[in-house]
Amino acid sequence: MDENKNNSVERERCPTGIDGLDNILNGGIPRGNTILFTGSCGTGKTTLSLEFLVHGALADENSLFISVTESSDKLTQNVIPYDFFEESLIKKGKLVFVDMPIIYERLGLTNVEFSLEDVDILVRAIGNLVDELSIKRLVIDSITSVCYRLKTEEKIREFILKIGKTLSTRGCTSMLISEISPSADRYSLYGVEEAIADGIVLMGNMERRGDLLRTLQVVKMRGTTHSRAKYVLDLTPAGVLLVPLLKGGGG
Amino acid sequence: MIKSPGDLAEELRELPPSSAINLKISGDSYFDAIRGIVDIFAPKKDLDVIYITVAIPSHSIIDVLKILEIDLSRIYFVDCVSHTMIGGAKKHDNVYYVESPTMLENIMLKVEYLVRKTSERNNVIVLDAINALGIHNNVNILSEFLHIMLNNLRAQDAYSIVFTMDDTATEDTNNMMGLVCDLNISIGSDG
Repeated sequence: MDENKNNSVERERCPTGIDGLDNILNGGIPRGNTILFTGSCGTGKTTLSLEFLVHGALADENSLFISVTESSDKLTQNVIPYDFFEESLIKKGKLVFVDMPIIYERLGLTNVEFSLEDVDILVRAIGNLVDELSIKRLVIDSITSVCYRLKTEEKIREFILKIGKTLSTRGCTSMLISEISPSADRYSLYGVEEAIADGIVLMGNMERRGDLLRTLQVVKMRGTTHSRAKYVLDLTPAGVLLVPLLKGGGG
Repeated sequence: MIKSPGDLAEELRELPPSSAINLKISGDSYFDAIRGIVDIFAPKKDLDVIYITVAIPSHSIIDVLKILEIDLSRIYFVDCVSHTMIGGAKKHDNVYYVESPTMLENIMLKVEYLVRKTSERNNVIVLDAINALGIHNNVNILSEFLHIMLNNLRAQDAYSIVFTMDDTATEDTNNMMGLVCDLNISIGSDG
């Protein structure tokens, strides 16, 4: 277990609702944290983040999914039919899907590359959305696609810092989805996001004797002690399930 | 040594939930053991059965259970062998496939899913058989797998029954089973 002694008082938790992950985090994500969920394609990032939001909505916490690359309609069609999912969550506005291209369009952010001013406009718009909808849980899928339009490290740093501050001051717990290549030796495409986020959860595909296992590892999480071991996960209608990766006597 | 399915069921009924049993099967008592568990013990205790097949494909066991006229509605299979056979994995409502017997974590995950899916009732989990898992995995990873899975099942008040085919069990297997199980029960015709 990794001792994190930043806070002498136990911080309030935002339980993800995924039992295995909440156990790893000793009860859940410290409320208001901005977490980078990072991994290559097919590792379960989007599915896990959606489950986080569904559990939030079921617990009466308004939850928002901002989809950058895929349309929300397509996304909800392809999502695993969870046993615990209720259509009424969307109808009641507890679970909200917004497409980032629509936000860009409404804000007039049409340039391929955003300026620092555009970054401010975008962060303010997301903050306003969180206020208007009383959002307590938010996912941006993916932050990599947003960063693609920021180009420079300075603007990416500015964006992540500002979005993190905007969300945490509103008590909103957030997952920023980051896409990396399977062979990447860092946790984000630009290397900036990982340094600023409050937590990093690394998801991967691990090959062992020809078998491909989906894995999850909490690398960093401010405000709580947590396991740093690697776990194997399965995406099931009962949600994401986790078990420890077997080590086979250290082999 | 127990000789009949009814006697096996009676012996199991005496045990509290959370028990982990090493069931040593010798001679031609394999189907007696299955009958004793799924046809007598489980219904009497109102348990759902989660049956992990490694030795033979689930459809072979299902065929036998049908011949024996055993109710299949509360028996769920985690089939670890059919995917390794060409065209072996046939779709069946109560069968969940693991690609390979080497994917031990995925066996645990499928069992965990089925425990949740059948959460209204308690479970008995049958692992058939440790010898077959030993063909594909070394004793270190197998011990770790059993230790973690059986402890998880204990925490959920489930009965765990691990088959050991006595004729082919190695000393390593017997030592490992002694470490992870609470009790040995033998069934056979030669005692």
